[in-house]
Amino acid sequence: MSSSRTRKVGLLFLTLLMLLAFACHKKTAPPPPPPPPAPAPPPPPAAPTISLRATPTTINRGGSTTLAWEASNATTVRIEPGIGEVQAMGNRSVNPTSSVTYQATAMGPGGTATDTARITVNVPPPPPPPPPPAPKPPDVSIDELFRQNVKDIYFDFDKADVRPDQVSTLQSDASWLKDHPNVRFTIAGNCDERGSAEYNLGLGDRRANAAKEYLVSQGVAGNRITTVSYGKERPACRDANEDCYQRNRHDAFTMNQ
Amino acid sequence: MKRIPFFLLIVGLSLATALAILGAPASPLSVMPRMPQIQTGTSQGIIGIKIAVPEFQSAVGESNTAALTDVFNKVLWDDLDYSGGVTLVSRSLYPLGKFSGTADIHPDEWTKPGVEAQFIAFGNARTVGDRLRVEARLWDLKSTQNNEAIGKAFTSEATEAGARLIAHQFADAIIQLIGGGIRGIALTKLAYISERTIGVKELYVMDYDGNDAHAMTAYKSIVMTPAWSPDGEKIAFTSFRRGTPDIEILSRLDRRPYTFERAGGTTITPAWSPDGSRIAFATSRDGSNTEIYVADWNGKNMRRLTVTKAVNVSPTWNPKTGHQIAFTSDRSGSPQIFIMDEDGSNVRRLVEGGGHAVEATWSPDGERIAFAWLKARTSTFDIYIHELSTGMNTQITHDAGDNERPRWAPDGRHIVFESSRNGTTQIYSMLLDGTKVRQLTSTGKNTSPAWSGYIQ
Repeated sequence: MSSSRTRKVGLLFLTLLMLLAFACHKKTAPPPPPPPPAPAPPPPPAAPTISLRATPTTINRGGSTTLAWEASNATTVRIEPGIGEVQAMGNRSVNPTSSVTYQATAMGPGGTATDTARITVNVPPPPPPPPPPAPKPPDVSIDELFRQNVKDIYFDFDKADVRPDQVSTLQSDASWLKDHPNVRFTIAGNCDERGSAEYNLGLGDRRANAAKEYLVSQGVAGNRITTVSYGKERPACRDANEDCYQRNRHDAFTMNQ
Repeated sequence: MKRIPFFLLIVGLSLATALAILGAPASPLSVMPRMPQIQTGTSQGIIGIKIAVPEFQSAVGESNTAALTDVFNKVLWDDLDYSGGVTLVSRSLYPLGKFSGTADIHPDEWTKPGVEAQFIAFGNARTVGDRLRVEARLWDLKSTQNNEAIGKAFTSEATEAGARLIAHQFADAIIQLIGGGIRGIALTKLAYISERTIGVKELYVMDYDGNDAHAMTAYKSIVMTPAWSPDGEKIAFTSFRRGTPDIEILSRLDRRPYTFERAGGTTITPAWSPDGSRIAFATSRDGSNTEIYVADWNGKNMRRLTVTKAVNVSPTWNPKTGHQIAFTSDRSGSPQIFIMDEDGSNVRRLVEGGGHAVEATWSPDGERIAFAWLKARTSTFDIYIHELSTGMNTQITHDAGDNERPRWAPDGRHIVFESSRNGTTQIYSMLLDGTKVRQLTSTGKNTSPAWSGYIQ
């Protein structure tokens, strides 16, 4: 009983040892196989070489570039993508539509060699946006054009006649308005805060009508023009100084919607 | 002339009421009103009959009545104080005590040197159900026979408004009797324009003392230049509600609109004829400037009165004759006041001098025109009274911001106007001599007042 147990323990130990040894063996590189014995080997076939170049390497979309290659020690030479098997030496014009990397592969008894040539294709800037639907310019914002072209005019204190320095403004207003005969508009006469509110209603009315009469005299149809007086009720500013007073003594032009 | 029979009628009614309610012994009114000379348009002041007004007493234990009696006392005092028709004797001079009934009044105590009252108004208040009942008396302290000039029980709803109403009624009765023969204005109203949101102007109406202000419009637009129909039932005004300014008319009581035919153009500044049948106004309907027109009060039968190339606005009728119209025109350069006959003839300029003379308003007796005058571009507007018989102009506001848009009270003693004297423009009233100035509004910016006639 006692000797048999000893034997069993010894066997187990041996097994563990072998397992350990095997595990260790796996981790190490296998020893090189013994060199083949003679006869002396024939010289190995020469390894193939290949070179591939693109000239130029950057083109614009739609342009072309030339691939040139030269291989040696190769039995087969292929260029991909899209070209296939070629002679060992040659060139070809290509016109890729987007950037691409060509790869040439030379295969021979001595092995395989590759070379690559990158061609960058510049994508042109996006085409100009499609022209805006035909007659947009006048339509884009007639309102905006009105604001840009028909300017307010300004008056002297207590006065409703068109000031000499305002005539050119009214003339250019008239010119634009004649060019746009479908535009109907309102002239609002305004006054500064000084003076009676009631009198200013009348004064604003005269200011609006003074501009209307001038425009009519310049050929703008009177039935396109609405006038209104706001007196001093709708000031553009509310400060008590001459700058503000002058801003408020004006005819405001607005397009009717 | 017209005033006398009416005056006697009121006296008679007062006596009849006194007899009916208080059972006072019948006797002829012992006092004919003393007639102080009302010096208008000068700074001489007004010397009226001296009256003592001890506080009315509320019934013991009625706390609600006590609060309403306080209101009554305040309103009665102010009505008399601002009336310009009587002089109030300061309460600090009164004998000690409470003066509720006739047994509390010993005339000698009130007429002795240092007090020197000629009349005394006194009484008491109690609440009966939901009614406030004020027993009010006016005694002539110097009468040797029957002191009682007024003895009347006033009733109203037991509210602050009711207490105000009674106080106004009693004040008007006192002024009627001893205020110089001119009817009191305590029950009149003021229309005006209130701007509580910048750029939004609504029509408002308030009591003559600034109480009970309420909006007549909620247009969220701009309205201007209210004008009362002579009976106080309708208000015409300039309105931008429909875009270009035109004239609208509303009923004072129910705000019902009346049609005024649209004139076209800029149509502004309505003014009622004294008989209420027509409206004068300014419109640019037929041209490029505003002219004065007259139409029926519904806007029909428009007739043009002026023919100019100038601004013509702000007509006002001579309320005495109904045959003349004053208005503002800048035909001679800056805006000035002109007068013409109602058919447009006999145009003449009212005020000589520069600047802006505007917003004329004809006194109820037809003898004066109040207006706002900006004498130089750098000065401010002040109110002036132009005496038609003499051509004299008297300044009645001084050195206190812009003072504009005067309008007469129907008693011819008071003027309401707008003033920027305290910063924002507000409505003020005062006597013609410039005293008893009273600020009537304070919320927002308030302009363009108009004083109603007597409202029945």
